[in-house]
Order: sequence, then structure tokens, then C-alpha cells
Amino acid sequence: MENKGPTVASVITAGLWSENPVLRLLLGMCPTLAVTTAVKPALTMGLSVIFVLICSNIVVSLMRNLLKPHLRILMFTLAIATFVTIADLYLKAFLPEMSATLGPYIPLIIVNCIIICRAEACASKCGLFISIVDALAMGVGFTVVLCILGAIRELLATGMVFDIMIMPKAFVPWAAMRMPVGAFITLGLMLGLVNLVTGKKA
Amino acid sequence: MDKIYILLMAFISIVIVNNLVFTKFLGICPYLGVSGRIDMAFGMGMAVTFVVTLAGTLTWLIDHLVLMRYSLEVTRYICYILVIADAVQLVEMYLRRFFPPLYESFGIFLPLITTNCAILGLCLFINLWGIDNFAEAVVLSFGAGIGFTLAICIMAGIRENLKIADVPEPLRGAPITLITAGILTLAFMGFAGMIK
Amino acid sequence: MLKKVWLYIEQSWLLIVSSFIFGLLIAVTNTAWQPRIEQNKKDKLNNLMNVLIADAEFELAVPDVQVDLGRGKFAKSNVYKAIGPAGSCKGYCFGAEGAGFADKIELVIAVDAAFEKIEGYSVLSSNETPGFGDQIVNDFYRQQFIGAPLGKLNLEKTGDDKKIDDEIVAISGATVSSTAVVNIFNNYLEQMKAKITAEGISADGK
Repeated sequence: MENKGPTVASVITAGLWSENPVLRLLLGMCPTLAVTTAVKPALTMGLSVIFVLICSNIVVSLMRNLLKPHLRILMFTLAIATFVTIADLYLKAFLPEMSATLGPYIPLIIVNCIIICRAEACASKCGLFISIVDALAMGVGFTVVLCILGAIRELLATGMVFDIMIMPKAFVPWAAMRMPVGAFITLGLMLGLVNLVTGKKA
Repeated sequence: MDKIYILLMAFISIVIVNNLVFTKFLGICPYLGVSGRIDMAFGMGMAVTFVVTLAGTLTWLIDHLVLMRYSLEVTRYICYILVIADAVQLVEMYLRRFFPPLYESFGIFLPLITTNCAILGLCLFINLWGIDNFAEAVVLSFGAGIGFTLAICIMAGIRENLKIADVPEPLRGAPITLITAGILTLAFMGFAGMIK
Repeated sequence: MLKKVWLYIEQSWLLIVSSFIFGLLIAVTNTAWQPRIEQNKKDKLNNLMNVLIADAEFELAVPDVQVDLGRGKFAKSNVYKAIGPAGSCKGYCFGAEGAGFADKIELVIAVDAAFEKIEGYSVLSSNETPGFGDQIVNDFYRQQFIGAPLGKLNLEKTGDDKKIDDEIVAISGATVSSTAVVNIFNNYLEQMKAKITAEGISADGK
């Protein structure tokens, strides 16, 4: 194992909590807000991001010693765009409904800052194994936040989570939760809650 | 006359009714990060407008003249992102060489713009909406930039006032910005239905 | 000169090689999955049309019919013919679009073989306000169109939504979206009728 590089445990905790891409680094906001109308699209989005993140981290990590510095970003972008295209084709072929729901937010993974940030900050410095673990941890951290947000919004907007009725019959759905305003305010309150728990000064 | 009407409607629709920031959640990262001061926000908005007009037009042309003609649609995303990255580079070099004052006012934002989702998002939406009219594509691209500038400037104005407001400790910074943005989207929803 | 070329190659060989590999990767996945993607698109349309006209096979009758949306806007639409088990024509289906409250509304409209009655519609895509405008996908509103006479439809604020006639009762709170759907119907039905009659495939249903 590498001596200077981060350990597996530290990478995992960083991804899941202390450097959680959404809650702490405020990266990848567009998909976080746009696709969390329900759990299912949120989960699909999260899994697509994990796939792209792992693939791009593997590629970048493998060729980290060969890369010329000024061509680095171009290389990252090319790799990311390729894997996003593949993910998009997969969704279109096997989950056409999800693909229609997510629409242009799948190709927008290309400009999701999380991926290029991990390629730059981790994969271009660390070995293959750490890079994969890092991608997995970051991706899972992202997905979990997305799913929680999706669950809250779906529950309040329809009274259901995963098409299972949870709220009592008398519950009046909050249509606003499905609109953009629901996304912004839920995420804002969630960030506030995290700040409260960690006692972080803004 | 009809043509002008369509273009005008397209412009109003992208600036107000389908504003990329408030209805499509695009360009939120700079929206949260930069929009602290109104002059900075305006500079950023202008830079985005510049690049998005160029990128939207170019991607539309490439899409219709090359990709669709030779059915290479599968490489669409790669082409789009490369065009955007190149457009940003070109604009940066051009401005530095020929308009140094302009470069100083918003050149610093240019490298950030490649990963601004508003730009790639707009190119994708133009494709999704099936815009097959060149003039409309240009107007939409330009309007998207103006819409982004509008959103980011409104937000910057509010944030300047938020600094002196008594916000609960945990909500300071990004959370209150998001909540404010949420309330703004409600205001912008009032414009829906304007376009018949 | 040669040295300069060599320098360029040395700088960018990795980029060029990986571009080839990535290109190959995309090409392979694309050829593998493209048939499935096409099939999915067809299935989706077929399913939608099957809900409107049951027990029928659909075949493309007239491709790319141009429809005037007013104000100098045009749209293209494919007309599908529904062929029943006995080989008779059960009706026609076509895509239709128009401006909704926030965005474009795309519908699939079905009419009967003689172009006298509406068989119903499904929403292909819409971006109406959740809780209000998006009720155009609900049965309450859609049922009013099934069996309605093919002619000019009128939108009413109040009335009996169970009665099937040319009066459509609007969804309360979503007048604009309700109007949009009725407008799409009025616009398309008339033009489609003229176009399809002109093609000489209507009336006898053959």
C-alpha cells in the first residue's frame, strides 16, 4: 500500500460524511435538486453517478503517470463523457421509463463537479485500489443524500414512498414539494440541519 | 411578422417562464458560490451569456449539419462538451488579446464556465425541444444567458441584504440561499401561462 | 519540421490512443443496444395506442403529416392505422402537440375509422404544474373525450362531466391546461381529417 496516500477507512468516512459531496462540499447541486421528486429517479441517478465515477477514476488512476499536465482536464472530460454516454445508452435500452423521467439530467452528469473533482483530487494522485474505494464512497454518499431528499419529497408530495402508501388517508398531498420550490427548501433545511448537528459555524 | 412573434415568444419563455436556474435547476453551483456581490454576479452573468450564445449556436449547427446527417447522434454528448470547452478557451484567448478591459472584468470567470451546467444544459434542452430553426436556436441561447444573469443578479441583491439580516446560526450561508431561491422560484412560477 | 511533428505526437499520443479506445467503446455499446432502444420507443407508442384502441395492430399509414399550429409554427406527425383482428380498420392514431401552461404538451389522439368519433387521448409528455395542470393525465378529464363527436369541442367551467358530448368540463384550478388540451384537439382533428381524406384512405377504412 502507499504510505503517503489516504487510508481506506479515512476515504470512506470522508465520502460518506465529513466530505460528503452534497452536504459538505455543495457539489453537484443540479441533479440533487432536479431528480429528487421521488426515490426511484434519485436512486437511478445515484447509481449512474457511481458507475461513471468508478469508471473515470479507474481510467484516470491507471494513466496518472502518463498524463501531460496541460492535457489532463481534456482527458478527464473525454473519459467522463464516454462513460456518461454508455450509462445513458444503458438506461435508454433497459430502463426506458427512467430515462424519459431523467431526460437531460443524465448527460448533465458530464459537468457534475463531483466527478471531475474526484478525478483531480484523488484518482490522479492515488493508486487503483484507493481510487476505486474513493469513487465508491463518494458515489454512495451522493446517492444516500439523493435518496433521503427524494424520499422526503415523495412522501410529502404524494404520501407514498416507492409506491407504498405511508401517510394516513386523510393526508392532503403537498403539491408544492414536487415543484422546484420543494427541492430548494428541503435541501436548504437539510443543510441547516447538518450544520446544526455538526455545530459548524457558517 | 409571425417569425418575429415566434422569436420574441421564445426569448420571453427562456428568460422568464422557463428560466434555467429557477425551473430547470441549471447553473446552481455558481449561483450559490459567486452571487455574493452584485457587480461580480453581473460579470459572471455576462461571461455566461457570451459563452452560452456561442456554444448554443455552434452545437445546434454541429448537430444539424454533421451529427444528424451522418447519424452520429450517439457521440452527441462528447461533441457538445468538447465544443463548449473549446468555445470557452477561444473566448478567453480572444478577449485577452483584443479586449483587455473586458477580459479583466469577466475573464476570471471563464475557466469556471466549462463546468457550468447551464451551458451544457441549454444545448441539451435545445436538442430535446427539437428546435429546427436556426434563428430560434440563437435566440434561445442568448435568452438563456440573459435569464441566468437575471437570476444571479436578483440573488446577489437579496444576499447583500441577507448579510445584515438575523438568520438562525445553522442556516447561514448556503442553506438560507437555497431557501430564498425556493421562494424566488415561486415568484417565477407566476409567469407560467404567459406564453400561449 | 519532423522534430516538431514528433513533439506533438509525443505530447498527445495518449489522448489520441484513448480517443480511439473510447470511440470504439461507444461504437460497441451502441451497436449492441441500439436495436433495443428502437424497440423500446416503438413499444411505448404501441402501448399508448393500445390503451386507446384495444386489440389492434398499428401500422404507419401516413408519415410526416404537416400540421399548422398557428402563428407560423408547424409540426410533423405520423398517422397510424389501427387494424383489428379481422383485418378491418378500427381507427387512426396520431401524435399531437400544442402549448400548455409552462411547456409543450404532447398527446396521442385516437379517432374511429370513419372520423366521426374521438376514441380518447394519452399524454406522451407534459410539464404542467404538479397538482393542478398535470391532472390532464387523469381519467376524470380523459373520459370526457372518449366517444365525443369529432367536431369543434367547447370547454365549459361547470357542467356534467359524465355526459359525453362536445362540451368538455374543465379541471378546476387548471383552466389553462384544460384549454390547451381542447385546443390541440380542435386544431389537429380538423386538419388531420382534411389531410387523411385527401390521402384517400379514410371513409371505407381500407
